[in-house]
Amino acid sequence: MNVSQNYVSQLMGRITTWARVNSPWAIHFNSGSCNGCDIEILATLTPRYDIERFGIKLRGSPRHADVLICTGPVTRQARERLLRTYEQMPDPKFVVAVGSCGISGGVFQGCYNIVGHINEVLPVDAFIPGCPPRPEAIIDGIVKLLTHLQNGTRPEPIQFAPQETA
Amino acid sequence: MTTETLLQRATEILAPFSKGNNNPETNRLDVEIEASDLPSATAALMDNQWGYLSAITPTDLGKEVNKLELLYHFCEGAAITSLRIYLPREDQPDVPTISDQIPVASFFERELGEMLGVHVVGTPDSSRLFLPDDWPDGVYPLREEFSMEQAAPVEPRETLPEMGRVGNKFTVPIGPQHPALKEPGHFEFAVDGEIITGARMRLGYVHRGIEKATEKRNWIQNLYLLERICGICSHTHTSAYAMGAEKLAQVEVPPRALAIREIVAGLERIHSHLLWLGVAAHEAGFDTLFMYSWRDRETVMDLLETLTGNRVNYSITVLGGVKYDFTAEHSRAIHKAMNYLEERIRYYLHIVTTDASFLQRTRGIGTMTLEEAKYFGALGPTARASGLERDVRIDSPYGAYHRFPVSLITDERGDLEARFEVRMKELLVSCFTIRTIVDNLPPGELAVRFPRKVPAGETVSRVEAPRGEAFYYIKSGGGESPVRLKIRTPSLCNWTSALNKAVGHQLADVPMLIAGMDPCFSCNDRMITVRRKNDSHTLTWSQMREYGIKKYASIREPK
Ligand code: SF4
Repeated sequence: MNVSQNYVSQLMGRITTWARVNSPWAIHFNSGSCNGCDIEILATLTPRYDIERFGIKLRGSPRHADVLICTGPVTRQARERLLRTYEQMPDPKFVVAVGSCGISGGVFQGCYNIVGHINEVLPVDAFIPGCPPRPEAIIDGIVKLLTHLQNGTRPEPIQFAPQETA
Repeated sequence: MTTETLLQRATEILAPFSKGNNNPETNRLDVEIEASDLPSATAALMDNQWGYLSAITPTDLGKEVNKLELLYHFCEGAAITSLRIYLPREDQPDVPTISDQIPVASFFERELGEMLGVHVVGTPDSSRLFLPDDWPDGVYPLREEFSMEQAAPVEPRETLPEMGRVGNKFTVPIGPQHPALKEPGHFEFAVDGEIITGARMRLGYVHRGIEKATEKRNWIQNLYLLERICGICSHTHTSAYAMGAEKLAQVEVPPRALAIREIVAGLERIHSHLLWLGVAAHEAGFDTLFMYSWRDRETVMDLLETLTGNRVNYSITVLGGVKYDFTAEHSRAIHKAMNYLEERIRYYLHIVTTDASFLQRTRGIGTMTLEEAKYFGALGPTARASGLERDVRIDSPYGAYHRFPVSLITDERGDLEARFEVRMKELLVSCFTIRTIVDNLPPGELAVRFPRKVPAGETVSRVEAPRGEAFYYIKSGGGESPVRLKIRTPSLCNWTSALNKAVGHQLADVPMLIAGMDPCFSCNDRMITVRRKNDSHTLTWSQMREYGIKKYASIREPK
């Protein structure tokens, strides 16, 4: 690779990072949540919180999305759909788990139709705790993820202790 | 008619079938009948216009008794008649269907089959409703001997067999990534050209197994588990559960606590209806209204937060009372907020009844007559928009609703427009009631002690959620956790009417029809696969929604 090609590819890389950080599109998936988290995610779109300030837009199709925002524990019936949605997203893709349920299974731990939390099914990049987290917390979590992207790093993966089943 | 006369009449109607009557509570009648008499007993109640089927509670009484128990609860006003049937416990006992008389029963019967292994003879659809596709056959989570080991995943089966395709009809599956309250669902619409000719659904994507889980948690833990059935009507679930548990434990809740519960219920109704207004407007392509109504909804969220410390899942109810008191500061804030909201709600009411392009999507669409609403067992605002006077707060006042009653809002037209109007007017009523309570808040204690163990017994508690009647059946065995808890949420009943009303409408109306019954949408996106004869492609819900909007736009502007 000669110098000018190298320069071009670096420049292109900078431009894509810039674009990605400034206009990440997200898709929202409910894999068994109580809707509490979902209405708070929706609230981030509305005038009071206005997540579009950060260029974030909620999209309907996984094929347009960079970020998968997941809520709730993963039920047996939703697991395969969650995986399918994730697979349909173009690379690079990021997963944000919103709410205690998504982080640990929350109050639903041990229920017969629950596979587990989201990290057991997908690699999660950001966890936003709360039941439900406030819209500010959700925005904060996503912005933190974006800051990482801007620095060219990916958040460290988190190792969980295996979940106890009741 | 008073509750006593209603129960008296039910006793007379059911006398030919009865094997024994008793009154577990003053407003309840329990009639034990033979399983084979079920259709005729139901017919007798229906012919005499006695009530509507509210829920079916299946219980496994365990190995010792060696019986399964089915309770068919019919409600009329405050009176509840339960038909009690005992079945042998061996695999797949038979019970005849009643869904030919009461369409909504078909959902309950699907549940009976998969949860308890009861074989419902003659039910039109015995496919799975809640359990996952990879759930093994012959394993029933509500049976006593159920354990997680039995439920190891098996080869998934197709739970919704293909609907028959005739001529140039094709099937449009919608979902499951769909944001209903308790359950995202998967729908399939059979379409002939543009017109829907058949519809059905499959739930269970959000089914977590809460009813079973309550048996493992104690009375207090359950309060927080049940609150999380639904983040939108969390207070409804805690109030229904707390009311039932308090009745069983014979705990008298202080009037101040009841009044505070009613205030929170009112605020919850406002937040829920405004949320719905936004989502429904979004489905119609009216995003400005979506943003407006959600902006104003924040006023209520702020109030809930100052009052309870949380925006969603407020946890203000505890067994025996409430957690937080109400101060003069709160009441000032509430008055201010109510004044503002009232003005805004009047404005929205004006918009949904006058905006021409919006009316095009709502006026005369999905019209449900009074008879149909009764027949399909519709509940809540969906029913009231068809002129059906059904509201638990009025029929069977609970909590503080004796002291601070609400007025009933109905409409005769039964179309989508009427449902918008009814909901907006209900908000005005809520604002008014909240103000009245705040000004006349009874003094006294906030909570009384609740025992760790609850005496044996069973009770029914019904609460009017923003979407209609929520039904709880609670049975205690005298221990630290309930023996059986049955929950029936209003959306399950309203689906029957929504699906049946979709038939004959255009595919473009589907988003509005579904949004119109308020299935607790949180406006998330769904996948839609359109399967034509030879090719199949996937649409998202937003593409579907845009399809509806474009279609109506093209009607509006003649080319
Ligand atoms: S974290 Fe809480 S609010 Fe969010 S889905 Fe779970 S229970 Fe509901």
